[in-house]
Amino acid sequence: METMLTVEKLNKSFKDKQVIRDISFDVRKGEIMAVLGPNGAGKSTTIRNIMGIMYPDAGAISFRGHAEIPRHKIGYLPEERGLYKNVKVMDILLYLSELKDYPLKKARERALSYLKKFGLEGQANSSVEELSKGMGQKVQFISSIIHEPELLILDEPFSGLDPVSQELFKHEIRHLAENGTAILLSSHQMNLVEEMCDRLFMMHNGERIIYGNMDDVKERYANFKCTVRGKSDLDVLQGLPDLERVEQDEDTSVLYLAKDVQAVNWLKNLPDNLSVQELSIDRISLHEIFIDIATDGNIAQREGVTHA
Amino acid sequence: MRNTMKVAKWEIKRNLKNKSFLIGLFLTPVLFLGFMFFGSLFGDSEDGAETTQVYVNDRLGVFETLEETAETSELNWNMKTTDVQENNVQTELKSSENTAYIFLDKRALDDGVIPVYTSEEIASDFMNQVQILSNPVKLMQMQQLGLSDKELAAVSMTIQFEETTSDEMAASDEAKTTSGNGGLFSGDPFERAVPGAFAGIILLSIVVSGMYIFQSASNEKKDKIAEIILSSITPGELMQGKIMGYFGLGMIQAAVFLAFAIPISIWQLDNVQILEYLFVPELILMVAIAILGYFLFAALFVGVGATMADMSSAGNFQGMVMMLPFLPFIFIGPVISDPSGLVAQVGTYIPFTTPGVLLMRLVVMEEWPWSEIIIALAILVVSIWILMKLAGKIFKTGILMYGKNATPAEIWKWIRS
Repeated sequence: METMLTVEKLNKSFKDKQVIRDISFDVRKGEIMAVLGPNGAGKSTTIRNIMGIMYPDAGAISFRGHAEIPRHKIGYLPEERGLYKNVKVMDILLYLSELKDYPLKKARERALSYLKKFGLEGQANSSVEELSKGMGQKVQFISSIIHEPELLILDEPFSGLDPVSQELFKHEIRHLAENGTAILLSSHQMNLVEEMCDRLFMMHNGERIIYGNMDDVKERYANFKCTVRGKSDLDVLQGLPDLERVEQDEDTSVLYLAKDVQAVNWLKNLPDNLSVQELSIDRISLHEIFIDIATDGNIAQREGVTHA
Repeated sequence: MRNTMKVAKWEIKRNLKNKSFLIGLFLTPVLFLGFMFFGSLFGDSEDGAETTQVYVNDRLGVFETLEETAETSELNWNMKTTDVQENNVQTELKSSENTAYIFLDKRALDDGVIPVYTSEEIASDFMNQVQILSNPVKLMQMQQLGLSDKELAAVSMTIQFEETTSDEMAASDEAKTTSGNGGLFSGDPFERAVPGAFAGIILLSIVVSGMYIFQSASNEKKDKIAEIILSSITPGELMQGKIMGYFGLGMIQAAVFLAFAIPISIWQLDNVQILEYLFVPELILMVAIAILGYFLFAALFVGVGATMADMSSAGNFQGMVMMLPFLPFIFIGPVISDPSGLVAQVGTYIPFTTPGVLLMRLVVMEEWPWSEIIIALAILVVSIWILMKLAGKIFKTGILMYGKNATPAEIWKWIRS
């Protein structure tokens, strides 16, 4: 697959604090690449550096191998987003597409068809002020894709959306990727990202934690965990084989199993006198990996950092 | 440059579709001109009520000459001849208002005294007005003495002292050797005031619309659209686009203003040839000064505006900057009373007062101090250039700073970075 965007060894400091350190990744044509991380991880800073809204202290960004970023081929939905208040929906869409040098006539057609698609038919001449928050976000989304960008960068596209709109956005993002748009999105909502992205780049405190294919990452990090409800002795649990660690919180114990453990076989190791109200066994989700990182937990750090 | 024009076009379009801008567009000239002409309209109606009834008992046969004199002097008189005798005048006057009786007989020629009887109520300056009639009587007096026409002309001519300062002599010499523009206008004050007022209206309009920039600069921040816009264009282009856009809006405001002002002026000041005085070469320089003034304040406002979270949270520092365009008002008194004085010169060289003070001086002064004008314009152009550079730096950082106002210390840091 053709590489659209390459980010190499990006560094940026604010005052004395290094916000991102040696960030490198690429985004390919037709794929959805997710940048994940807790608040303050440096996701938005990375994206702003790509968009030329900030300039990196060190590192290189190239688009199809050229250092010059053609802004009119990129669509951008920033995290801090809004629209001019006292203007009409169609006016602002046409203005933003004009800034991207997109032909007026085509822009108008696309604007109307997208408004219809997003259930905003007939709102073209409404003032932005009259729109609800959700409607406004739809218009912002349309404005980022109206000029048929080759690369679409979405910073927290799902934040503040209701579930219906989330599905709509997800569907549209996937549709765009299928048609060959390279998509870079950032999020802290793992469950949404987990099911739609092809590759992910997880960062924390400005550094890379995990980078790779979704499937590879899941296979590598998503071990089994066993959750037991019922009073039990921590020492007994810790004596069990193939354990990475045990977390106990009152009546609930979570046993993190080692890699490549056969779940059924392992269950046979449970002592007969173990008090079990409930017992479940499942894989660690991306969400948990993420929480773990965000709270400076263990999984990824002990696993080492690279998996490309 | 193309992106700059796109932004400019957008700003103009956006404002012209905005109701409150449109209302302001038409209300400003209406209010301004309304107040300006309110007094004179009021004055007119008062004058109309005070027409003075003047009866002349003419034994000398000069009534027609007197009537002509009164007419050319635009006295608000209604003149009639009368046969009323001096003894009966008292009874006649008792029952009337604003009435005067003038008795012209041999006493006027022999003793130089003309008796005037007025009613109790009479226009306050009537006795001053009546002196105008002394000229035709004097003329008659001299004719009776048998002077020739030539002698008459010499005697009846009044003696005047004509003042020329050394400054003016130098200037008029200069004017003769250079373009000759300067020295030719000395008679009618409107000759300069009209283009001056024209340029003043342009300056006022575009500086006022420049103040919209203040609001507009923080607009992208307030509406959180800054990053979306900056993903397509550079901060510099956005800033220039705003400056150009509001310049366009200012010109539209000026055009609307003048569309009111010119017809009203022509109607109110019917003896002044407004249009003839308007389209003179001086206008180009004056308008150029006004436009330079706009760019100076636009650069200042766009830079400082970008440091605010929004208009309502303007701090002291930002508020003071907003008052700068009104600084020339301090200079009005001193400049008008002494257009070449020290205060006027100082005002000319301070960039923020240059446009206002220079325009005032050019209207008042007979001879234009070209060297001062050139130096002042040079200072102005350099200041604009520096301010634009600084504004660019401040704007670039400020436009992305959400939620709080920048302190002067922070702004200083951005400038140095």
